[in-house]
Amino acid sequence: MVDRAPDELAGGASRPRGAEQSAAPGCSEPPAHTGQEASAGGSSAPMPRVIVHVDMDAFFASVETLDNPELRGKPVVVGGTGPRGVVASCSYEARAYGVRSAMPTFEARRLCPDAVFLAGRYSRYAEVSEQLHRVLATFTPLVEAIGLDEAFLDVSRPVGRSLPPHELAAAIRRDVVEATGIECSVGVGTSKLIAKLASEAAKPPVVPPGSTTGGAAGMASPASPGIMVVDPAQEIEFLHAHHVGSLWGAGPATVRRLEDLGVHSVGELAAVPLDILQRRLGAASGAHLYRLSRSMDERAVVANRRAKSLGHERTFPADMSDPDALRFELARMVEAISERLVAEGLHAGRLTLKVRFADRQTITRSRALSPATCSARVLRALGTTLLGDVDISRGVRLLGVAAGNLTRRSASFRQLALSEAQVTRGASRRRKAASAGTASAGTASAGTASAGTASAGTASAGTASAGTARSGPGEAWQEEGAGDPEAWQAVEGAIGRVRVRYGQGALGPLSLLSKNGIDMARQGESQWGPGEGET
Amino acid sequence: MKFRCERDTLVEALTTAGRATAGRATTPAASGGVRMAVDGNDLRVTGTDLDLTIRVETEVIGLDNGICVVPARLAADIVRSLEPGAVTIEDSDGEVEISAARSRFVVRTLPVEDFPVLVEPAGNHVELDTDKFAEALRQVVRAASTDDARPLLTGVLITRFGDGIRLVATDSYRLALRDMTGAEAVPDGVDELLVPARGLGELQRLIGSSSKEDRPLGLSLADTDATFRVGNTRLTTRLLSGKFPDYQQLIPPGYPSKLLVGRDAILEALRRARLLVRDNTTPVRLSMRPGTLEISVSSQEVGHESEEIDAELDGEETTVAFNPAYLADGIEAVQGDDVLIETTDSSKPSTVRAPAQEDYRYLLMPVRVS
Repeated sequence: MVDRAPDELAGGASRPRGAEQSAAPGCSEPPAHTGQEASAGGSSAPMPRVIVHVDMDAFFASVETLDNPELRGKPVVVGGTGPRGVVASCSYEARAYGVRSAMPTFEARRLCPDAVFLAGRYSRYAEVSEQLHRVLATFTPLVEAIGLDEAFLDVSRPVGRSLPPHELAAAIRRDVVEATGIECSVGVGTSKLIAKLASEAAKPPVVPPGSTTGGAAGMASPASPGIMVVDPAQEIEFLHAHHVGSLWGAGPATVRRLEDLGVHSVGELAAVPLDILQRRLGAASGAHLYRLSRSMDERAVVANRRAKSLGHERTFPADMSDPDALRFELARMVEAISERLVAEGLHAGRLTLKVRFADRQTITRSRALSPATCSARVLRALGTTLLGDVDISRGVRLLGVAAGNLTRRSASFRQLALSEAQVTRGASRRRKAASAGTASAGTASAGTASAGTASAGTASAGTASAGTARSGPGEAWQEEGAGDPEAWQAVEGAIGRVRVRYGQGALGPLSLLSKNGIDMARQGESQWGPGEGET
Repeated sequence: MKFRCERDTLVEALTTAGRATAGRATTPAASGGVRMAVDGNDLRVTGTDLDLTIRVETEVIGLDNGICVVPARLAADIVRSLEPGAVTIEDSDGEVEISAARSRFVVRTLPVEDFPVLVEPAGNHVELDTDKFAEALRQVVRAASTDDARPLLTGVLITRFGDGIRLVATDSYRLALRDMTGAEAVPDGVDELLVPARGLGELQRLIGSSSKEDRPLGLSLADTDATFRVGNTRLTTRLLSGKFPDYQQLIPPGYPSKLLVGRDAILEALRRARLLVRDNTTPVRLSMRPGTLEISVSSQEVGHESEEIDAELDGEETTVAFNPAYLADGIEAVQGDDVLIETTDSSKPSTVRAPAQEDYRYLLMPVRVS
């Protein structure tokens, strides 16, 4: 446990107190998604959730070391340097001397007089935190930030890659370390409780005695450094090996009372009957710990950050000047952006293209989208237009595209365009054809989506119905992407549903088809990655 | 360069010419500067952003011929702030002195050679009926697009029609169309013009601010630009090139529902309904019934409102939803006490016009509510 204000340290978990009781799905903030929704399909037999906890290692101290390499390998303590100051964060070298977060600074000085004591630079930590969250957002919209350096992710229903938990954890850790330059620990479990304990278990070991995470070390040491995935089958065993103090809601007073009962480990706690716990600890607290000791933790991951923009960019291994190749890259990125907009229920009101040339000169070209949209087709058309106005002959080193001005989709109203007045006579017929096309595309991929190459067939099904929609009169009205918007909406809606169900690569435009399936931009495939931030 | 003139005359000239500098920046001198040239007792003040140029000519007491370029906004603000009466302007070596009564400003000028060289308008010339043309602009310019991504739609089409001309503008959601019989605006040898709505908007303003006796309106046409002359002011706008969308097929041959309603009554009702509409994406719903038009609006976050106004319905009852701002735009443009709203159904264009006249029509696509 690192980098936490003392008042948040009381329990094992770090949620602010007020929020602790709100595990019900109804508690979500207005724009938030909750993990509960994602898995609420059948409450009779709920699918086990996949919750990831990411925790930066010695965050503040690590940022200081990152910015000042001379500190590497030295004990670094960040915190209040005055007489009543408290340690906010300390490097693992400092921890070896017994220095801990929340310890009075004078005590840290006594334990480790040679440590470098720093007052801390919050704005810089916030900056690195922003990088962290940008990366995390590429994995799922369901990211719940806890302070600057911690977050829960609900990846039960991943938006992008559908990877086994261990690989996913490895990908998250790799992307975070790459983007921030700071090590982190990643824990995976079926609940916030388990994920949190897992990330603690994955922390680098502190050499001297007194380590609070020692309890778990014996039975579940991380398979790879910084990563700990708790198999649902071994969850109880893992949990029971922990000290009761590591349970969320078990503060020092509660722990003392439990120890009076002879209860030290969570396993011992689980053996205590409910009525005894409630008599000792009060009804609410007793019931709460009773449930936690049985690994019953339904708290939802509540997305608490809202993206301001979504983007992708990619630095090419060699400078590119072939317009077709660049358009292809653009299409890959746009497809991924559109998919995330759909998944998050957002519409983009602006598209920005970023081009860095071989000589590193960087330009951006931006244009408003009216009406705001999440349509890959519309985004691609605009992106292509913007790219067409850029002289790429000197070679492009980096290409980026970002959707900005994001608004929540209001599906209920749509201003019709005059061009649609033309289409109306044949439209209903065409619309039926289009939705029939996507319906069959949906079922086709339903059977085959798991196989990467099978998406070839579904991709052509998607574009075939799109082709039907394209052949409407009135092209002069719309510079880009003519056709019956209703039909296109049906097509893109169906594509979205297929992807939600079968994963990112299940369905896509034919132009992105490669021998490995649909070649869409992967979230976080380059260091800037897609992300939130202003454009 | 040195001259003296009335404060208000100079303020007028500087602000009018300065309006052409409000567009896209080009060279530093052109982006924010106006050029003042004195020749005898003539002062010419010119502002341009290359797409649009406005030149004002006015009589002053010329004391010394010459040219200088001053920051448009600043110069106008300074002169406006002076005490009423005579203002003296004199330039010398990179500075211009603006003085009146006991105030004296010295302001740096911009390099004259950086100001774009503007060609004198030449070519075909026609005279227009100022009042009729101004009214047509008022009715049509509002429907043009302001989205630079769709350049053709930012223009107003002026085309031959019968023995007169027709003005058309659309932003792809609504279309305004005005016929002017017997009017000339397209010189011989030209079939149609696509004039940027921004320039025409400025022209409207010029006509509106010119005095009654001083407003003959002329149009000269060159290959790439059109020059309008209102009194002693000249406005040159670059023409757009490209094919304006085919609008004629959009006009339905007939409508099953025709609703006659008082113009002011419906405008007032829309004004009230719009109080609940924050972002203009929330539509107003028009329920047309015999004797009554019900206008209602419902916004999830804010609340809802409805009211009834007297109306005459000829044909089928129907309900259709519109963007309230677009609808009000069309109704405002209609001349007379009543408007006729002709409707097919909730997914086809409706027309707003005056009941007895067909020379102005405003086509509007509904908002689909699902």
